[in-house]
Amino acid sequence: MTSDHISSLRNPSSIKTRFAHRFVLALKKLSMDRASSSVSMADRYKRYRKVRAAAYASMASSVGPKRAWARALLRKIRNRKMGSNLMKRLGSRTGLLKKRTVLKPRNHREMGSEQENSLRELVPGGEGMEFYRLLNETGHYIKCLRAQVKVMKNIIDLYSN
Amino acid sequence: MQPTSGELPEMNNLNPLVSLHDSQMSTSSHFDPTSSHDDFLDQMFSSVPSSASSFPWPDDHAPPPPCHLEDQSTALLVSKLRQQQISNGAAKALLLQHQLMLSRGLAVDDLHSPFGADIEFLNVPHADQDDVVDGSCYKSANLDHEASIKALFNGFTGSIGHSSNQPQHLLHSQDGALHSQKFGGPAVPEMNQPAASGTSGGGTAGQPKQRVRARRGQATDPHSIAERLRRERIAERMKSLQELVPNANKTDKASMLDEIIDYVKFLQLQVKVLSMSRLGGAAAVNPLVPDISSEGGRNGNGTQTALSSNNDGMTVTEHQVAKLMEEDMGSAMQYLQGKGLCLMPISLATAISTTTCRTRSHHPLASASNNPLNSEAAGPTSPSMSALTVQSATIAANGGGETSLKDVNSVSKP
Repeated sequence: MTSDHISSLRNPSSIKTRFAHRFVLALKKLSMDRASSSVSMADRYKRYRKVRAAAYASMASSVGPKRAWARALLRKIRNRKMGSNLMKRLGSRTGLLKKRTVLKPRNHREMGSEQENSLRELVPGGEGMEFYRLLNETGHYIKCLRAQVKVMKNIIDLYSN
Repeated sequence: MQPTSGELPEMNNLNPLVSLHDSQMSTSSHFDPTSSHDDFLDQMFSSVPSSASSFPWPDDHAPPPPCHLEDQSTALLVSKLRQQQISNGAAKALLLQHQLMLSRGLAVDDLHSPFGADIEFLNVPHADQDDVVDGSCYKSANLDHEASIKALFNGFTGSIGHSSNQPQHLLHSQDGALHSQKFGGPAVPEMNQPAASGTSGGGTAGQPKQRVRARRGQATDPHSIAERLRRERIAERMKSLQELVPNANKTDKASMLDEIIDYVKFLQLQVKVLSMSRLGGAAAVNPLVPDISSEGGRNGNGTQTALSSNNDGMTVTEHQVAKLMEEDMGSAMQYLQGKGLCLMPISLATAISTTTCRTRSHHPLASASNNPLNSEAAGPTSPSMSALTVQSATIAANGGGETSLKDVNSVSKP
């Protein structure tokens, strides 16, 4: 089934294939790092978080730096990762890191309706742009999310059959 | 392109005509040789700056014969025009001439100023003429551009004293040019409002109705124009987003935004659930491996043996879940989700299982993806639908309890 999939790829460098590639690599890395099956809730939760972060990170990196939401998403993930790393080592220095995300100008947030604001929260990087640009980014983000869901589902089917 | 003051704004309209005319003349074959037309145009431009009073409309100058005009109303106007020019002089003649051109939807504001006549003066009589002219002019709304160009050049004809045949030949060549001009036309009257309304207070109201006009009070404000543009762009964007999002009946902007927001939330939830499930290969799936193998084996067997083997496989999980449920439902749910399972009422479970078993008996080797219950909301399904993929119909026929455990690929939205 795997070979069939690969041979029937129409666009070898589409977003889906790039994402699939990176995601599978990231999963491999994840599964090699951690210990084998952990039944406890905390471990499962952590693993789920890592997998999800890997999914978003591979999605954002395969989209490329041209899209604002991809850049913002990567930045967020790296901040979080660095934040957790620092927390482990330094303890109480995370206050600095939290400020980084709120640097964007506030004027875009004051205007606009309630829905617009909630959309800004949903789409990564939506805080600092005006409404028209936000709509653009939302469109592209939706497309990529759909592709991501499809690929992930296929991977799951692959591994579970 | 937008003439703001009225120096010679009509030159802007005509200059592209001239250049295109020259280029087209060489290729087209309907009409007279170039030299005469160039002369005509030169004369036209030289005479335009002159004031209104200097427009001679010689009586011996033959009017455009009716056979060249395709419209009765135009003939009517032209005849009126000539009457006026004979009786009244330049002012009213110009007025009717403007009516002619206005009826073709041209940007006549350009023509107001070079004639040097008082614009206010011209506007007042417009009101009188409106009723008479508009009715007839509306009929001519569908005229093609040739007639409009004719009207334009007819106005200049008198001043230059040429025969009227030439403009019509010119017109044929200018057809293509004015097509693009016409699109600029409706926009230009809007832009010219600032110039015109400066001099005529009620100018916006007094303009003839055929023109595309800005709404009263908004035309003068560049901010409102920018606002309008912005809103149009946003509306365009919303339309294209509407095609992406499944429930696409756009009633208004607010509900559309709500749909978009819900859809994004739904997709993000799907990613979350998928990343919770049995990803990461075999390492995460150890406790469930016996289940999978028993699933594979079960398809060939009857259900009885399968159930028993499944029960063995599930027992550990069940005990775990039962323990967790005593303390806290939420943690139990999370534990199950971590395994890729979910809780559901037994009635639903039996319903699903009977359907699945029926299909399974027909297609013993059907994989999960062919399962008719695979109603994963991968495609355009509403986020409010609960989505379940039944990997295997492992029905816990352990009748006790209100729950049944199934292997699921994704969990329904709470």
